[in-house]
Amino acid sequence: MNEDLKKTLLNPIFKGNPITVLVLGICSSLAVTVQLKGALVMALSVIIVTGISSLIVSLLRNSIPNRVRIIVQLVVVAMMVILVDQVLRAYAYSIDKQLSVYIGLIITNCIVMGRIEAFALGNKPIPSLLDGLANGAGYGMILVIVAFFRELLGSGTLLGFRVLPASYVPNNLVILPPMALILLGCIVWVQRSIQKDLQEK
Amino acid sequence: MNTNNNVYTVIYTTVIVVVAAAILSVAAMALKPMQQANIKAETISQMLMAAGLTDTDALSRMSNDQILSMYSEKARAAFIIDAAGQKTGELNTEVSDIELQDNLKLENKNIASGNPSLPVYVFDKDGEEINVIPVYGAGLWGPVWGYIAFNASCTEIVGAYFDHSSETPGLGAKIKDEAWFRDQFKGERVNFSKPDDSFDIVKGGAPAGVKDDSQVDAITGATMTCNGLEAALDTWFKAYMPFLMMKAEAAAAEVCCEDGCQEGCQDCEQTNNETVQEG
Repeated sequence: MNEDLKKTLLNPIFKGNPITVLVLGICSSLAVTVQLKGALVMALSVIIVTGISSLIVSLLRNSIPNRVRIIVQLVVVAMMVILVDQVLRAYAYSIDKQLSVYIGLIITNCIVMGRIEAFALGNKPIPSLLDGLANGAGYGMILVIVAFFRELLGSGTLLGFRVLPASYVPNNLVILPPMALILLGCIVWVQRSIQKDLQEK
Repeated sequence: MNTNNNVYTVIYTTVIVVVAAAILSVAAMALKPMQQANIKAETISQMLMAAGLTDTDALSRMSNDQILSMYSEKARAAFIIDAAGQKTGELNTEVSDIELQDNLKLENKNIASGNPSLPVYVFDKDGEEINVIPVYGAGLWGPVWGYIAFNASCTEIVGAYFDHSSETPGLGAKIKDEAWFRDQFKGERVNFSKPDDSFDIVKGGAPAGVKDDSQVDAITGATMTCNGLEAALDTWFKAYMPFLMMKAEAAAAEVCCEDGCQEGCQDCEQTNNETVQEG
């Protein structure tokens, strides 16, 4: 049982990463990775939403009428996302403004619904919670890696603090969304060269 | 238990939705005071930025309380005027009594119906008097609004700041993000001779040489946002025009009397006005 839990927790982080392997949640990973701070808050929000939604749906899983299960899941996910948005608006207003619509768009993030459909509906609450948290973390990890390079090369700063010397000319291409896609491609490349079984023939 | 029964399904979904709604209402009520405080601090910081009393870097390091106390410290007066430019009420600067965005939306409707109560904020910048007024209108996707700072005589714009709720990032959102856009408003004037079209945001750039003093360049790729912003500026400048003109006349009369001209102040007021408009 413990082996299973460990696998549930670690698999989504690397081997079955939602962004690089399942290719879910690309849209928001392009939009919120210009600065590391925004990416960290977004990652944390997604971890909380996927974790708690999975837990709630898993607790309800035997009572949900099968015909309306998607609607019930959507209500749970939407409730969690609005809660996260409200809390951010009260405690981290400037970051909430910077992330703007992307917090609200977590509702439509395929990772959340995907994990609920595929895992939480058929598993006990604790493994579901872990699965949700781990998938959120796998998503967040890629977000943070991309944001690290984009903020470093695009602004010469990290978390707002200047790291590269003032003589460094910021690379404007890195700030634009296409560069996030290129960086994402590089991460997929690195992962597939390490994990040979992911390579298509 | 048969969970596919129709009655069960209806009751189940109803209960789920009611529970979710209850949780969200409680959260919204509990967090509202903090959210309002954030919005208030943001509104104030936009006015301070328009007045040139601070900049984005300094603001990002300030807490809400620091922003509020900076307002109380720099604000000389704040009052409400009516459509004729007459003062009808005071706002308390000590408690940072200001009109939030919701009120601006309401006033925008009142301007159309001809019975607005418009706020004016007077700041003290190194001894100079700065008059800040809000503008509000429709952008492409949602409202756009901002604050315009005038000099003591209200004849010259000394700063501006704009914000929006949902303009396209990289295009319309540049009215907030690009400092050059708001910086071009410095030194411009409101054209008192054309009350319906007193300010222009010119697509393709204000022509060099023949450009008059109430034109700025529009943003490429943001035509709809710029048109909306221009309409907002025209509407609100028109509503404030009696007040702005009164300030300008009073300042002109003061200059004339200080210069010690012998004839009645009325006469030199006119000549002064002419020179102001030519210059």
